[in-house]
Amino acid sequence: MAEHHISAAAKIRAAVAQDLLSGRISLLLGWEKGHFQWQSRPLFARDGADLERLAWDSFCAVNLSRYLPEELKENEKVGVLVKGCDSRALNRLVQDRAVPRERVVAYGLPCPGMLDAGRLVEAAGGWPDEIAEANGRVVLKGGGRESEVHRDSLLLDKCRHCLYPDPVACDQLLLAPVGNREAPDRFKAVEEREQLSAGERYAYWEKELQRCLRCYACRQICPACSCRECFVEQEQPRWLGKAYDASETFLFHLIRAYHVAGRCIDCGECERSCPVGIPLQELNRKLIKDLNALYGPYEAGLDPEREPPLLTYAPNDPAAFTEK
Amino acid sequence: MIKSINKAGLDRLWERLAAAGPLYLPVKEGPAVLFRPWAEGAAAALDVTQATVSPKEIFFPRDETYLKFRREGEKLALAESGTPAGPAIAFGLRSCDLRAVELLDLVFRGQEPADALYGRRRENTMLVALACGQPDPSCFCGAFGINPADAPGADVMAWWDGDVLVMEARTARGEALFAAAGELLQESAAGSKPLAPATAEFGLPLEDLPERLKSRFYDPAWDRLYRGCLACGGCTYFCPTCHCFDVQDYGSQERGERFRCWDSCMFGRFTLMAGGHNPRPTQKERVRNRFLHKLQYFPENFGRFACVGCGRCLRSCPVNLDIVQAIRALGGETVEQR
Amino acid sequence: MNSVNPLVPQKVTLLEIAAETPEIKTLRVAGEGGAPFDFRPGQCAMLSLPPVGEALFSITSSPDCRDSLEFSIKEAGSVTRALHALSPGQELGLRGPYGNGFPVETLKGKDLLFIGGGIGLAPLRSLINYCLAHRAGYGHIDIVYGARSPADLIRRAEINKRWPAAPDTAVYLTVDAEFPEWSGHVGFVPSYVSELAFTPENRVAVTCGPPIMIKFVLKALEELKFTPDQVITTLEMRMKCGVGKCGRCNLGSKYVCKDGPVFTLAELKTLPAEY
Repeated sequence: MAEHHISAAAKIRAAVAQDLLSGRISLLLGWEKGHFQWQSRPLFARDGADLERLAWDSFCAVNLSRYLPEELKENEKVGVLVKGCDSRALNRLVQDRAVPRERVVAYGLPCPGMLDAGRLVEAAGGWPDEIAEANGRVVLKGGGRESEVHRDSLLLDKCRHCLYPDPVACDQLLLAPVGNREAPDRFKAVEEREQLSAGERYAYWEKELQRCLRCYACRQICPACSCRECFVEQEQPRWLGKAYDASETFLFHLIRAYHVAGRCIDCGECERSCPVGIPLQELNRKLIKDLNALYGPYEAGLDPEREPPLLTYAPNDPAAFTEK
Repeated sequence: MIKSINKAGLDRLWERLAAAGPLYLPVKEGPAVLFRPWAEGAAAALDVTQATVSPKEIFFPRDETYLKFRREGEKLALAESGTPAGPAIAFGLRSCDLRAVELLDLVFRGQEPADALYGRRRENTMLVALACGQPDPSCFCGAFGINPADAPGADVMAWWDGDVLVMEARTARGEALFAAAGELLQESAAGSKPLAPATAEFGLPLEDLPERLKSRFYDPAWDRLYRGCLACGGCTYFCPTCHCFDVQDYGSQERGERFRCWDSCMFGRFTLMAGGHNPRPTQKERVRNRFLHKLQYFPENFGRFACVGCGRCLRSCPVNLDIVQAIRALGGETVEQR
Repeated sequence: MNSVNPLVPQKVTLLEIAAETPEIKTLRVAGEGGAPFDFRPGQCAMLSLPPVGEALFSITSSPDCRDSLEFSIKEAGSVTRALHALSPGQELGLRGPYGNGFPVETLKGKDLLFIGGGIGLAPLRSLINYCLAHRAGYGHIDIVYGARSPADLIRRAEINKRWPAAPDTAVYLTVDAEFPEWSGHVGFVPSYVSELAFTPENRVAVTCGPPIMIKFVLKALEELKFTPDQVITTLEMRMKCGVGKCGRCNLGSKYVCKDGPVFTLAELKTLPAEY
């Protein structure tokens, strides 16, 4: 991994070690490496030995805030490493009263954008043995081949459209800020879909959703899905059948999209987590776009003091309650 | 009997074979690859190492209606129902997929009462295996003694020789495929039969593992292992050997149907009893049960691991919690392993 | 059709439904020729009421009763609620029998101690009536049965009259707390078992009840020097298939629906305590 990342991980370890070892926090949520360089998994660090495994590189996509509600049941105070999106996820959970902010220490990691293993394989023409980064470029070696590509071309979809790579509302910023990004194409896919007729749109989504496994990974990783019991699981009455039928699958995804509307922080974790690659973030972005148009620009999770538009009562609400 | 066909002729072959019944092929849908019945214009993703979702759904579909009911007053009419499972072809399964079918057979056909729904599909489906030329880094079927280039149990074993797909019929059913394909296939010599490519083995301590795991049920390593689990059902659905299911009714008081559908032991409600008691109350028990089922319980019942090293959990778990990690954490000799 | 689908129920008719307690009703069902199948005491069957669903219950009638099957069912979820609402004459689905049942052969010649709590008497009743019908095959029979209140005791005709009147049979009833209408023993089942100080010689204890009761009964029996293979219990888990395939009810490599629901304590000690 790139030099600056190795030193960054050491820097992070040093910065959090004091809090963990002194007992200010009893658990630190971070990342550790998986089997391969392109994998990281959540790290639940309780002591110095655990911290040794802490990693920070271009493959730390998993949003760790999602683990806070559960871990706070067992720990008085939990530290968490947050990228830009993760920090907004934390704000989101705090706003939903799912996490008491005073029991969390958020260590901010400005994020260069995480890389997509699938794109690495495409770029390298196979699985790389070695991935090295320098100056915005990535060198991929393996199978007797070597290729060098622009880092941005390997970003996860969720990171391509990121506006705020620097953490907000963190307690401590551990690395130098990277500055806001431009994402001119953020709503491009949504706009393309809007050009289609209703029938064509239905056909598009029917095709995409027919492979949905109903594994609910999208919901499980979502920082806006903070219901204690999802309507999917409710049995009396049962809202959603378990048949793999287009109407049931549509119902799940549409209700979820509407339920997180205005609260979705656009972290794209749902789409990244989907084992069959359904472009779920298009649904969420469509609602973000519409809400922005209806109620004025709003970025969920950016400002913990600002309530989401659909949770706000405003007498001068620009939209009528009923429309012809 | 060995025959072959040039890559360019495959579309015609699909069309010919699909005329007699569903021809399941790995097909690209978005970034995923799934086994789907061939339809005109569909391109088979035969170059992809692994379908994202295992082909188990050919035999054990995501849902399957098997009963229809009608009620009139006190009277209840119950009638077996369901899609007839006529002859079908599953084309392009890998060696690991074939081993997984063998394992599912043990559950659904090898013990009484046999599962009629699975059995019908399984008996009527011809299996065409495709040799794996280049396993990817997540593949570890070699650890389970599987040869990626050769799949016992296949009716037809196929392999690539450059742009030519060579096929060897190994059963009468396989020869029937050759007959159905007719002039589209050329007589062929075996050509260069592929050698078994090496797969990752991850140094897994599999020997006597089921025996060793007996004493690890209460091991603190489970506490660490499960924490990252999101409690989604992804692994259980794309895994080729997971086979938990639910039975559900759909309909009104007057009429409706009963179907079975995939279910996941990763879901909290899976074992929740109507009275509120849950014998696997947290994700820890669920994760432990899933891995022990594959590595200890299934071997105790059938003498085989219920893992084929296909690597799907290594590739697709959103938080990279996979069976290799479980084996490493629990399978070693020492109690305290990280 | 290649083979019969084991998940398909057959049709039975509800002959009788009687309230045992405010939460428990006993349903008596039969097919056209009486009891739709032979079974062993302790086995279960899946009752089916579309479109609500299916649930597994122990058969509470004795195998000797061949004209019908009885199920004592406590209202807990949607299926049991729907079953409780049925009237005689209603048709419903049934499949089974499932599970191993009690080891009636190995129990032969033994003194038997039945310990039940609440609805837990249901599976024991099948075995008790079987033993009473084959009285010569079994030794002395003691039945300790308790519930939260007198109103929660089930099968009152049997616990109050028929069983105490049976040869060489004793019935000990208890309720958890004092009630004005109750002049019998007051206290939890496990402590009553300790108090009665049953001796383990040539005796097998068979117990069923709420998990917390079973836990303390096992402890009480251990203190009375019963060995683990002298203690038998029957377990309840969520089940969907009943034939060891759907994946819900396993304790380690054993499936409660297929290898159970009856286990000796000795067997349970070798299995994960996930019940």
